[in-house]
Amino acid sequence: MAATVREKGYSHWDGQLAERRFPWWPITRTGIQLAFRKKRFKLAFAGAFIPSFVFLVGLYISERLEDFKSFLQGSDRLLNISPKYFATYFTNDSLLFMIVLVLTFGAGGIIADDLRHSSLQLYFARPLGKKDYLLGKMSVIAFFTLLYTAVPGIVLILFKLIFAGSFKFFLQYPWLPLSVLADSALLTVFFGFYVLLLSSVSKNSRYVIILMFGVYIFSSVLYGILNSIFRTPYTALVSVPANLQQAGAFLFGQKLPYAVPAVWSFVVLAAICVLAAIVLNRKIRSVEVIK
Amino acid sequence: MSIEVRDLSFRYGKIVALDGVTVRLGEGAVGLLGPNGAGKSTFLRILLGFLAPERGQGKVLDYDIRREQAMIRRSVGYMPESDCFIAGMDAVTFTSYFGELSGMPRQEAMKRAHEVLFYVGLGEARYRLLDTYSAGMKQRLKLAQALVHDPKILFLDEPTSNLDPTGRQEVLELIRDISTHKSIQVLLSSHILDDIEKLCETVVILKQGRVAAEGRMADLRATHYSLYEVRIKGDGAAFRRDLEGAGSHVDETEDGLIKIYMPEASDRMDIFRAASRTGVQLRSFVKSRTSLEDLFAGVVGVD
Repeated sequence: MAATVREKGYSHWDGQLAERRFPWWPITRTGIQLAFRKKRFKLAFAGAFIPSFVFLVGLYISERLEDFKSFLQGSDRLLNISPKYFATYFTNDSLLFMIVLVLTFGAGGIIADDLRHSSLQLYFARPLGKKDYLLGKMSVIAFFTLLYTAVPGIVLILFKLIFAGSFKFFLQYPWLPLSVLADSALLTVFFGFYVLLLSSVSKNSRYVIILMFGVYIFSSVLYGILNSIFRTPYTALVSVPANLQQAGAFLFGQKLPYAVPAVWSFVVLAAICVLAAIVLNRKIRSVEVIK
Repeated sequence: MSIEVRDLSFRYGKIVALDGVTVRLGEGAVGLLGPNGAGKSTFLRILLGFLAPERGQGKVLDYDIRREQAMIRRSVGYMPESDCFIAGMDAVTFTSYFGELSGMPRQEAMKRAHEVLFYVGLGEARYRLLDTYSAGMKQRLKLAQALVHDPKILFLDEPTSNLDPTGRQEVLELIRDISTHKSIQVLLSSHILDDIEKLCETVVILKQGRVAAEGRMADLRATHYSLYEVRIKGDGAAFRRDLEGAGSHVDETEDGLIKIYMPEASDRMDIFRAASRTGVQLRSFVKSRTSLEDLFAGVVGVD
């Protein structure tokens, strides 16, 4: 090594170490920054805004139907802006897949890398608890998930009001912002546990990436296979996206896509979260802080 | 006393890791020695507040190890043995990140990160990705992150492992500087006895979860046993058996030098008597200054 030891002397720091109100915040901020250092993540990050952009354009066109009449050719029924329009945004396959894509590339190694490079011991040698560590990591996932759910959802409502030039829409559906926030919260909590669970089962982030895509896609494939065998809508409960769509439709007060009570989908999603919490509790605790 | 524990006991299931450990450690550098499974790691884990002792109590810098774990971790810098870093980060971000997690304001942590990286000799490489660091550089980086929040005590676990002789010398020099001139106490756990001998005035030797020896190195050398080095002609095995029967520990080097670790109470004339009894001729007899290795071998009973 070219550098020599003690290029500068050691001096004491004259500041005061503070007890942070949110000790997990540096973990979150750094996690978000690290995600943006990955090239493929940046591409996925930008691409994942396409669904919200398309829905925003649709919203604009819906207010200018006369101008776009020849262009729409009878498909203007689709642009009837109602809670169904928002439910469609939140439950469409492309948005959910894009969120998985962003989280896979941005947060796939969120715990796996710490396990691989033994950095957990450095975290826990600080005044941090397991709760702070997991909260910090989960907040990274929450940031990206909310960026594609709650933020566009609220923005779409605002633009609807701006384009319409009146509050009529809001007065007609005053509960809509709550539905947007509720479904965003559901997706955030679910994806938070989903990503942390899969990221903690392996030290290899590439393997985690395969797992995250695999579980998401394979659960839908499994649903297709089981449905063709048993011919019952309950088989949809094995599919991650189907459960998210079912819960989303329920929260927006729309017709359920599968003929299964929505509560079952909530139970399935909650069970995955509980399983994740148990696994995380064991995995993080089992790491030796000092070897 | 900066570290004080009394009757500390801990077991992993049925395995006793620590059994009634009582030590009082003051200022300066303290070496923590012991064979594998002696309880060194468990001792450090308990001091850092990661494990709650089954029995006993203790304080680190007057913070209770059972109740004030966060305060202990804020005041302690820990350099683990294994390689640990965060992929995709540079050294400045890494070091300031852990400074911030210790409770430093962000700007201060960043400024301080630069300073400690220069101090440990990574100034020129501080913007390089950690993934590209050599083993020696990672070792220095671990020291930097342990120092960034200006701890009052440093726990160093095998700080010179993975280092070439020059790097090792430089890191030892750093640790010596920290412990002697910067009023930071160092607790050094190492299997390299030479490192501990060079750096530490005080040593704690653990054996099977108990304190086998503790105190200033000079005192331990003087009080526990005397070391004699002899060369003989005749039946070495019988001579050795005779001495061991009298309570001494005997080692023989490849070149035929016999090291006899005699208990404090024994008389050196016993060596001559043993030689006489076994018909061995003593060719040389030297009372040797004990090294830490000798001390370790004498106390723990391993070669």
